Amino acid sequence: MNPLQKNIRATSTHIARSFTRHFASKADAEVAKPYPFSKNAIILPSSPEPLPPSLLKGTAIMAHVKNTLPPPAAKELLSTLFHPSHPSALRPGSIISLTLAHAPTNFAGVLTGVRHRGPDTSFVLRNVVQRTGVEMRFFVGSPEIKDIKVLTRAGEKGTKRMRRAKLTYLRDDASKMNAISASVRKAV
Amino acid sequence: MLGLKATMTIIDNSGALIAECVNVLKSKSTHGMARVGDEIVVVIQQARPIPATALASTTALKVRRGDVRRAVVVRTKKEDRRPDGRFIRFDDNAAVLINNKKELLATRINGAVSADLRLRGWAKIASIAPKVV
Repeated sequence: MNPLQKNIRATSTHIARSFTRHFASKADAEVAKPYPFSKNAIILPSSPEPLPPSLLKGTAIMAHVKNTLPPPAAKELLSTLFHPSHPSALRPGSIISLTLAHAPTNFAGVLTGVRHRGPDTSFVLRNVVQRTGVEMRFFVGSPEIKDIKVLTRAGEKGTKRMRRAKLTYLRDDASKMNAISASVRKAV
Repeated sequence: MLGLKATMTIIDNSGALIAECVNVLKSKSTHGMARVGDEIVVVIQQARPIPATALASTTALKVRRGDVRRAVVVRTKKEDRRPDGRFIRFDDNAAVLINNKKELLATRINGAVSADLRLRGWAKIASIAPKVV
């Protein structure tokens, strides 16, 4: 074989390999559209955006992870509903209803606290189910959460603003929890 | 996380009210602590008085105070993890009585149970429960 040809083959495979991209999620993979003007055209997947040199040096790696790691739906939630200081962020004391992928398919309750940890942000909902208090901790980035419905927002017109970030005192206050669970049942 | 001396309510209609854990079976991976779906051996601390009709019959279920029986944990106060990372916590510990063949002794369950029962092979109990969370 012509040695020049051998080099060309080697470089082309090298280029092909550098172009293979590991998609973060199935949604990203589906974005690669076929070439509309020819069926036989070979379309190499576009290379990922080059990382800025400051990032390669080591500056602001966690900020980069925070932006790129969560899927777009989770990113939307993290920047609005579960952001520490967004104007429409959920305050503790709000009543929320979730639709989940696995059992229990619906869970509603009062938001007792949000744990802000970037992509690992989680929140706790408390409700009284069949005369037993139940608390569930959900992760905002979880694909299990199909839908979040905000039934009442604490601190808005007509509702009381909670003076605590974490409402663990509700565990001992049966009367308040009964009132809350009654309103949850009415609202759902 | 129920170990030796842990008390729990019995939420079926067997007649027992409160039981105390005496032994956790299959505890190699659980370090002697039972979670939802684990079998434990309990001593009945409080039971409802047995009705006269049941006392007379030989086949009726008679659960008395001091009985040593087996039970399955259905609710724990200690949070339990679901495969997707969710945590669930109840306000009390609860169990239902079973026999050596892993069959329910009672006919009804009152109260919510954890959905982890299905994952750990107790789908029968989960199907009878009025609410699975």
